[in-house]
Amino acid sequence: MTGQTLTNSLSGEGYAVEFHPEQDCVRMSGALRLGGLAEYGPISAMLEDALNGRERLVLDLSELEFLNSSGIATLSKFVILARNHGDCALVICGSRDIAWQGKSLNNLKRLMPALELRFE
Amino acid sequence: MSEQQSERPIPFTSGLTFRQATVTLVIVLLLGLLAGFVELVTDWRSMRGEIRQQTQSTLELVRGSATEAAYQFNDQLAGEVVDGLFANPNIRQVMLHDNFDGVIAERGEPERSAGPLVTRLFGDITDYRIELRHGATGGVGGELVGSLEIRLDEEAIASSFMERGLVIVLVGLVKALIISALVVLIFYFMITRPLLGLHSAINRIDPTRPGDWPRPRFRHHEKDELGQIVNGLDRLMHAFQSVMGQRDKARDENARLGAELDVSRRIQHILLPSPEELAAVQGLEIATYMEPADEVGGDYYDILNHADGVRIGIGDVTGHGLESGVVMLMTQSAVRTLLATGEADIVRVMQVLNSTIYNNVQRMGSGKNLTLALLDYKPVIDAAGQRGQLRISGQHETVIVVRRDGAVEVIDTDELGFPIGLVEEMAQFVSELTLELEQGDVVVLYTDGITEAADETHRLYGEQRLVEVVREHCRESPEYIKQAIIDDVKRHIGTQTLYDDLTLVILKQR
Repeated sequence: MTGQTLTNSLSGEGYAVEFHPEQDCVRMSGALRLGGLAEYGPISAMLEDALNGRERLVLDLSELEFLNSSGIATLSKFVILARNHGDCALVICGSRDIAWQGKSLNNLKRLMPALELRFE
Repeated sequence: MSEQQSERPIPFTSGLTFRQATVTLVIVLLLGLLAGFVELVTDWRSMRGEIRQQTQSTLELVRGSATEAAYQFNDQLAGEVVDGLFANPNIRQVMLHDNFDGVIAERGEPERSAGPLVTRLFGDITDYRIELRHGATGGVGGELVGSLEIRLDEEAIASSFMERGLVIVLVGLVKALIISALVVLIFYFMITRPLLGLHSAINRIDPTRPGDWPRPRFRHHEKDELGQIVNGLDRLMHAFQSVMGQRDKARDENARLGAELDVSRRIQHILLPSPEELAAVQGLEIATYMEPADEVGGDYYDILNHADGVRIGIGDVTGHGLESGVVMLMTQSAVRTLLATGEADIVRVMQVLNSTIYNNVQRMGSGKNLTLALLDYKPVIDAAGQRGQLRISGQHETVIVVRRDGAVEVIDTDELGFPIGLVEEMAQFVSELTLELEQGDVVVLYTDGITEAADETHRLYGEQRLVEVVREHCRESPEYIKQAIIDDVKRHIGTQTLYDDLTLVILKQR
């Protein structure tokens, strides 16, 4: 494993987070139930890294079946960061079929009105 | 049971040392007896040979004199020969015959009948007879002049044999005892004593702490089987201890979780408003319900009566357990504190609440947040009669309003606020909505435990069905409506586990 792929892919029991720089896309899938904010640190770092120097970033959550409250807090922080950053267009792809996403993604949109929400 | 058995003292005769000594002694004795018997038989044989040979050579010694006596009929010489022979204690009878079978000289004791054993052992070697020939060379040729006969005393022979036999048996016995003692001693020091030490160590094992067993150390046994047994036992005891440790840890963890669950359950109920408080509210008839899930969630509701009306709060902290309960408790406290400060600006109230909860959950290192709706009710009494004004703020589930005539309004609160504690700043997302309540209007507040209650096919109860039940019973008392909803939700759940808390607050304008 090279350092590059190490920072571009995080996975654990039942979940995977992958950064595809060539597609300007971070894909999260599975069910994320990490315990506490600190455990989301690596994911947070990867998202921030993906945001840096990019004009457009797609955050694909359409296969993220579950995200616990610490995960939602992490995403909220990231969206605020992207909003304050200002020079990267953020797109979040979600799924109408996944219960947690409806309200939470709308709240993210409220945090960053420029955010583009796409539901499959 | 087994413990008692192992601790019972072992009777001496059942002990290893005694049994080993006994078995060794018996075996050595038997072997000694066998060896003694073989020795006796050998001795008996050689003794018979010796007696024969001695007797023959004695007879040969006197052959010359006896022949002379018989040839010359010399009674004196014959007497001397016979006496000389008879002097031998083993010889019982001596007879010198002439060649006509006449007795020249005779000595002897009277015939005695020997015991059958003696006769059997030596009866066949008692009689000897030589022919006496005058002028013979080497016992061959010559003129037959008589014969010399002797009879040995089998009793005398037997008694000397018995004496020797007795010595053999005694020596054998002593040998057996010495060998037994040596074997027992060697065994005792090499094997039995360490075994006894091991036995006592095993007996002293505390079944609750096998890892602390008094491991025995046997000098010079480090590398042999005993040393390996002790090492093996030691490993076994430590393995036991580690398994027991894991078991205890799991038990403690379970107990801790159980205690945590109890605490969470208590936290959730400890600060709920009393029926008296509800009854004291001006202008509103109120019914409430809260049922914690098996794994307690973080549902929150409060009815806070104050001079100008009543503040109603309802919320749901994410997740389950103690942390959610603690966040709920902080929320309750903060809401009450803000009410006490007299802060009327709902945006300001939400901002302070959010800041309080946000900073505390950051300390907790948790991402817990909550939906929270605050409803400020103010009774209005004027010429037109009794009415009420309800201001709603904060993001939570929908607020269901069923007017007296059955008209339904479902108010979405998503745009009225933001999850509390999720982000640092949320004041810009807070807004307020005001409802006028006429007599008989019903307002229902709930948490998602109600609408997301699932049946065995995972079908959710849903807002639609909740609205239906409320509408159907809107003319009844809040208590009745509450019960109708709970009954219907329970019917829906059936035998399924309750996965989330169920909370309901029913308001009805008086």
